[in-house]
Amino acid sequence: MLKIYFELNGEPMYVEIKPGEMLLDLLRRLGMKSVKEGCRTGECGACTVLLDGKPVRSCLTFAAKIKGHRVTTLEGLGSPANPHPLQEAFLETGAVQCGFCTPGMILVAYDLLSRNPDPTPEEVREAITGNLCRCTGYVKIVEAVLLAAKRRREGVWR
Amino acid sequence: MGIKRFHYARDVEEALSLLAAYEGRGALLAGGVDLARGLAPEVEGLIDVTTAGLAGISADGGGLRVGATTTLEAIRRSQEAQGYLGGFLAKVMGHVATLPLRNMATLGGAVVSAHPWADIPTALVALGAEAVWQNEELTEKASVEELYRRPFRAIFRRALLTEVRFPAWDGAFAFEKVARNAGDIALINCACGLGLDGEGKIAWARVAIGATPHRAKRLTAVEDFLTDEAPSEELWAEAAHKMKTEVEVGDDMRASAEWRRSAAAAIVRRALDRAAKGVTGDA
Amino acid sequence: MKVVGKNVRKVDGIALVTGQPVFTLDVTPPGAVVGKILRSPHAHAEIVRIDTSKAEELPGVLCILHHGNVPRTPYTTAGQGWPEPSPYDSFLFDRKVRFVGDRVAAVAATSEEIADEALRLIEVEYRQLPAVLVPEEAIGPGAPVIHDEEESRGIHDPQHNVAAAIDIRVGDIERGFTESDVVVETTCEFPYVQHVPLESHCVVAYLDEEDRLVIRSATQVPFHVRRIVARALGVPLSRIRVIKPRIGGGFGTKQEIILEDVAAALALRTRRPVVMKYSRAEEFVAARTRHPMKIRIKLGAKRDGTIHAIEMDVLSNTGAYGTHSLTVLSNVGSKTLPLYNKAPHLWFHGKAVYTNLPVAGAYRGYGATQGYFALEVAVDELAEKLGMDPLKLRLANHIRAGETSPIFEKIGEGRAGKAQVVKSCALEECIREGAKRIGWKEKHGKKTSEGRWVHGVGMALSMQGSGITDIDMAAATIVMNEDGSFRLLVGATDLGTGSDTILAQIAAETLGVAVEAISVYSSDTDFTPFDTGAYASSTTYVSGGAVLRAAQEARRRILEVAAAILGEPPESLDLEEGHAVSRGTGKKVPLSEVGHRAMYVTDQRHIIATASFVAPESPPPFAAFFAEVAVDVETGVVRVVKFVAAADCGMPINPALAEGQLEGAIVQGIGHTLYEELLFSPRGRVRNPNLFDYRIPTAADVPDIEVVLIPSDEPTGPYGAKSIGEIGINGPAPAIANAIYDAIGVRLYRIPFTPERVLKALHGKSMG
Ligand SMILES: Cc1cc2nc3c(=O)[nH]c(=O)nc-3n(C[C@H](O)[C@H](O)[C@H](O)COP(=O)(O)OP(=O)(O)OC[C@H]3O[C@@H](n4cnc5c(N)ncnc54)[C@H](O)[C@@H]3O)c2cc1C
Ligand code: FES
Ligand code: FES
Repeated sequence: MLKIYFELNGEPMYVEIKPGEMLLDLLRRLGMKSVKEGCRTGECGACTVLLDGKPVRSCLTFAAKIKGHRVTTLEGLGSPANPHPLQEAFLETGAVQCGFCTPGMILVAYDLLSRNPDPTPEEVREAITGNLCRCTGYVKIVEAVLLAAKRRREGVWR
Repeated sequence: MGIKRFHYARDVEEALSLLAAYEGRGALLAGGVDLARGLAPEVEGLIDVTTAGLAGISADGGGLRVGATTTLEAIRRSQEAQGYLGGFLAKVMGHVATLPLRNMATLGGAVVSAHPWADIPTALVALGAEAVWQNEELTEKASVEELYRRPFRAIFRRALLTEVRFPAWDGAFAFEKVARNAGDIALINCACGLGLDGEGKIAWARVAIGATPHRAKRLTAVEDFLTDEAPSEELWAEAAHKMKTEVEVGDDMRASAEWRRSAAAAIVRRALDRAAKGVTGDA
Repeated sequence: MKVVGKNVRKVDGIALVTGQPVFTLDVTPPGAVVGKILRSPHAHAEIVRIDTSKAEELPGVLCILHHGNVPRTPYTTAGQGWPEPSPYDSFLFDRKVRFVGDRVAAVAATSEEIADEALRLIEVEYRQLPAVLVPEEAIGPGAPVIHDEEESRGIHDPQHNVAAAIDIRVGDIERGFTESDVVVETTCEFPYVQHVPLESHCVVAYLDEEDRLVIRSATQVPFHVRRIVARALGVPLSRIRVIKPRIGGGFGTKQEIILEDVAAALALRTRRPVVMKYSRAEEFVAARTRHPMKIRIKLGAKRDGTIHAIEMDVLSNTGAYGTHSLTVLSNVGSKTLPLYNKAPHLWFHGKAVYTNLPVAGAYRGYGATQGYFALEVAVDELAEKLGMDPLKLRLANHIRAGETSPIFEKIGEGRAGKAQVVKSCALEECIREGAKRIGWKEKHGKKTSEGRWVHGVGMALSMQGSGITDIDMAAATIVMNEDGSFRLLVGATDLGTGSDTILAQIAAETLGVAVEAISVYSSDTDFTPFDTGAYASSTTYVSGGAVLRAAQEARRRILEVAAAILGEPPESLDLEEGHAVSRGTGKKVPLSEVGHRAMYVTDQRHIIATASFVAPESPPPFAAFFAEVAVDVETGVVRVVKFVAAADCGMPINPALAEGQLEGAIVQGIGHTLYEELLFSPRGRVRNPNLFDYRIPTAADVPDIEVVLIPSDEPTGPYGAKSIGEIGINGPAPAIANAIYDAIGVRLYRIPFTPERVLKALHGKSMG
């Protein structure tokens, strides 16, 4: 067993982990159920979280690695009572079908928009390439990210 | 059975002594992209080397030095890499896997894993990149090409790759990859470079081909063929034709040898053409 | 229309975009244990001996199930209406294994690691049997018999490995071809492809405080799960409750009972909650696939382009078990042949055969996808031979509103069908609109090159159905609360398709309230009325029909109470914006007043209405698909540059959701067409059971997709609606095949169109 300190969605955390535990399992164990398992081998993107603001695969990240770092899951972005503009945009454009890919998708979109406030559709596609969605065909997801970007530029953003 | 301990190596020495102490039951962990996908059952201790202060990119004359634990995405975005060979290396990184994986995967991990289908070894072999590693006794270096001719898996059972050095080149490189879809690994890939002499003839040529499905190799016969010739579409076609007889290709579940041979010729021709345009500033 | 026809936000959307714990495995009961399955390493073998003693000694192992300690009741894993038209050829665990990955035993243990270790400790001695991996060989002489067990029922010809067969004739096919001026014949092949829902199969089974078995499952068919698990385990149906939470994609693979039975059996034995999930590798190997098929098709036409005779000969590979074998096979013809209804002479025949390979099942498109690939490639060839524009040939032959096809009556759900006249059809407009958007006139037959990229365009048509005639039944209950809000209880299963939202829209429209006034509770066999489930494109039409009826009945009851309040006859009242409003006097009363009065004040009653709806027919949606491709003639790489789909799904209840169904289906179809395929070793092992080797489309692969909905008004559908869930997947393979031909003059008959196959075909051409 190993004790680590890290920051989860802005809150300090001190937890005991197994040395071989994966971040995916740790986060779900801590109640962050937005973090989904779709493959456990890095390809699907359902388990994506932000580590120090950058998207990574929690299924391939050893939990021990986050010691002293910042982890953001979808729970850290918004809530049903207070959704993030990106979450709103996904809802409005119909970018959610089953919703299983949505948490990872929104997090990579969040990363993109914080680096590039005015992305082209191609840049959006490129940024979300690592996150698979089997339901939507991505058309409305790209629309959602572009809509959120527009709102962000217009100042409707937290 | 299973991982019993996790170590945050503070420097190279710590990593190496831990590795030695585990006597084969320890593993160096960088991004973990490969390691976590296929952890050997005998591994009990993980030694994180990303905490050892090796990450970083710096310009080195016209060349580049990249610390082993630098992530692929950090290379892709770095000023220094963008300045090296017109951003060639940075662009190659853009072909590798997908963003969240590139945020994790390191250059050292890519060199050591040395997947035959991978893109990075192809680029590194073409560039004549030099790997620097350290074991408990000494520091060694060799070109990545040379490294892959040695029993490198055995070497890295007791050594740590610390840095990769990229030489300066007076010329330009281009990379080509054919994959089934975005984010896929290559069915075939190549990296080609050219430099011209004062008379506009080819002063040097580098041609490396990978995912054949074997690990990247240079085709020196094709390089020799190109040297001292004047660049032209016809020359690329001839070089590509020559390459067809030189290249060793094989079958796997992704593609047949026959297809690889044809596709290899096509992408080498394209890469040469693009590299030539890069030299003359047409691209 | 106030609510119907609008892009209302998904009613479950906010929970999904904020990552609430709404999926099966997001909530696990305390004390849950892990269930895992031991799988066969052999394609075909008898289990001679199974010794679980070492595994049982492992601390933390609670129970091990195998053929020796479970009931041996044949059933089908197909989640279809009773009696299922699929053979009863599966057992909880059997003495024989029939494909690499078949179930051998299951373990329940206190942790995943212990369960894995227990699987390793189970000793199994197999007697290997000859395996057959090729459908043609499976029905050939001397082939090993895959289903030689006595107990199975409903197999067409077990001795010859034929799970199902069909032979339908209309007119006189021989005469048809003799009378034709032009005849073409081709054979198209569809390989093993997979649904790949992002959430793999998963389930939680436990006993509740009254000792009833509760199954929380990612399923498309909760009511069929209850019935089939009851049968397989010999538990009374009344003792089982099935709950479907949000599910992470299905596309047909979750129309199968492949995990619930095992989890339930383990929960009953251990009396502990049992959690089970398929790993991605298991999902590839031991979930379900599309039925691989070889379809030989022969078309005869008059010189003027009238299609006169069609023969379709199908060899379908159902894998080790016959789930959906007959119905998918039937659909190959029944969903395609009526499209070209001018042909008086038809012969549709085929077999679904067993092999020692993974099990095929229901997959979006359900046979129509394979059928349209063959049909629409053949129609393209026919056009060429006739010297006609393929678009014109299709326009000249496709079915129109007011017309029928003998096929409707001849082929039903594993039995005869029912005559049906198409009442709504905007296919002609779809073709014209799609052609305009792709630039058909400018581009077809005029291949253009940009360097090594050669461009071409191709098209394909398709129709599907909306539910299964006379079989699919759905029921809905509407309950009014005193504040004028409603609860809508439906058995319908939203698998991400948005059906909860669409059904809420239908209810809201009928009751004159906003969607927010309706809370939807769906898919819980204890609390919601019956519904056959989410398949066969039935939800909007069939479940929507039930909701419409229930809402109309609730409306009638509301108006009665409102009439008493307002002192006006109910016939003069309407429901609008949460009020009952008099058309004559303009007087109005809020629904909250109606609700309070009905519940507490005078002549008390609870306003509740339940209604059922059986599909009286299966009105087909229609679509025209157009693809523009670019082919790299040096490497054989094919890129889809643009894809246009113009579809008639009746009146779209929620256009954005309908578009999403099409877009998603098209991209799945593009994946199948360009790279998806399960590969097998010579011994029948799947070689690429992961997303690294089995690629599915990413965002960067998606072409410019334009989806157009061309409305038609279906008189039998709720607010004029038909279906849209499946049809989109039928277009990509033939449209892309035809576009490739337009570009490089080479016909490809087997998907996926890998660089390898394209280049080989090109080289073949240049040599020939
Ligand atoms: C899904 C996926 C897609 C991919 N796609 C591509 C692609 O398109 N093109 C391409 O070129 N590559 C691709 N790769 C390969 C990828 O580049 C490498 O897997 C990655 O760079 C490995 O780096 P890492 O830091 O994660 O290594 P780790 O997983 O941490 O380590 C890999 C191995 O190297 C050893 N190691 C790591 N660092 C050192 C060191 N400094 N010294 C000594 N030994 C060390 C480890 O002990 C281990 O054995 C892909 C990989 C995956 C998983
Ligand atoms: S679960 Fe991590 S990428 Fe799929
Ligand atoms: S919405 Fe289902 S996977 Fe994306």
